[in-house]
Amino acid sequence: MPYPFQLGFQDATSPVMEELLHFHDHTLMIVFLVSSLVLYIISLMLTTKLTHTSTMDAQEVETIWTILPAIILILIALPSLRILYMMDEINNPSLTVKTMGHQWYWSYEYTDYEDLNFDSYMIPTQELKPGELRLLEVDNRVVLPVEMTIRMLISSEDVLHSWTVPSLGLKTDAIPGRLNQTTLMGVRPGLYYGQCSEICGSNHSFMPIVLELVPLTYFEKWSVTML
Amino acid sequence: TFKLLGILDVENIPCARDSVLYGSLGSVVAGLGHFLLTSRIRRSCDVGVGGFLLVTLGCWYVFHCRYNHAKLRIQERMAREGIKNKILYESTHLDPQRKPADGSG
Repeated sequence: MPYPFQLGFQDATSPVMEELLHFHDHTLMIVFLVSSLVLYIISLMLTTKLTHTSTMDAQEVETIWTILPAIILILIALPSLRILYMMDEINNPSLTVKTMGHQWYWSYEYTDYEDLNFDSYMIPTQELKPGELRLLEVDNRVVLPVEMTIRMLISSEDVLHSWTVPSLGLKTDAIPGRLNQTTLMGVRPGLYYGQCSEICGSNHSFMPIVLELVPLTYFEKWSVTML
Repeated sequence: TFKLLGILDVENIPCARDSVLYGSLGSVVAGLGHFLLTSRIRRSCDVGVGGFLLVTLGCWYVFHCRYNHAKLRIQERMAREGIKNKILYESTHLDPQRKPADGSG
């Protein structure tokens, strides 16, 4: 879940998100070093008495500052593409859950075996119990089994929405008339929060998503009580 | 929280704090050493910055940091898979440590 004064990502709960965090650290370090170098060179430019203004060519330095950035870009692109393809690997999901975005709530359908449907509305601030998170809690959480690959099919009944769970590295648009698919694999049980990520009207900020990852036996018991 | 250059959260990224600290140390050593040897100020500053970049990069990528972290992460994942599989396959026909049954089931 997000915390006050947060500047980085939330802790990873899926293998893909771990890879993304690792890649982000790698890219940020490169950015940091390049920025330091540029800052230093600017300070050099501003503190020199050398004012030679008729330089016609500078082959050596031009070669260096073409080849070196190309190498740096390749060093960024290769891990990036590796993660991109890793996200599209074929896996065999054991469960399929459908979620439909509405103005302004999410509805979930677990229809693999029985017909389980429910809506998930945000709990208004006045009705929160002490300790609950403002604008993030919902009345019916999405309970899912932990350590299992789950297929999420996401669409919308009216306008564009976006189904997001940052801790799992998921963000998929909910587009009316289109079915988008994403796979989810949580490695730790717990509560994971997300918010609608595509502007959809006046209550766009008030339709959160809460995933409750639990062991399979608890998931089975929960689904029986919800039927 | 302290953020280097306003963006890099050195406190929480593994290896970042060590890399930046070693980089700063390397920068001071290289710059000061060069100045003591040659007494050229501007060139020593350049050597200092260059030393910072190289030592930070070296420590971050090569020496004991990301490389080892990557190896550790792979080992962690293998161990986790191994534990899960052991529980899953224990005493089934897929268990590699199963002793052959002696007829009484």
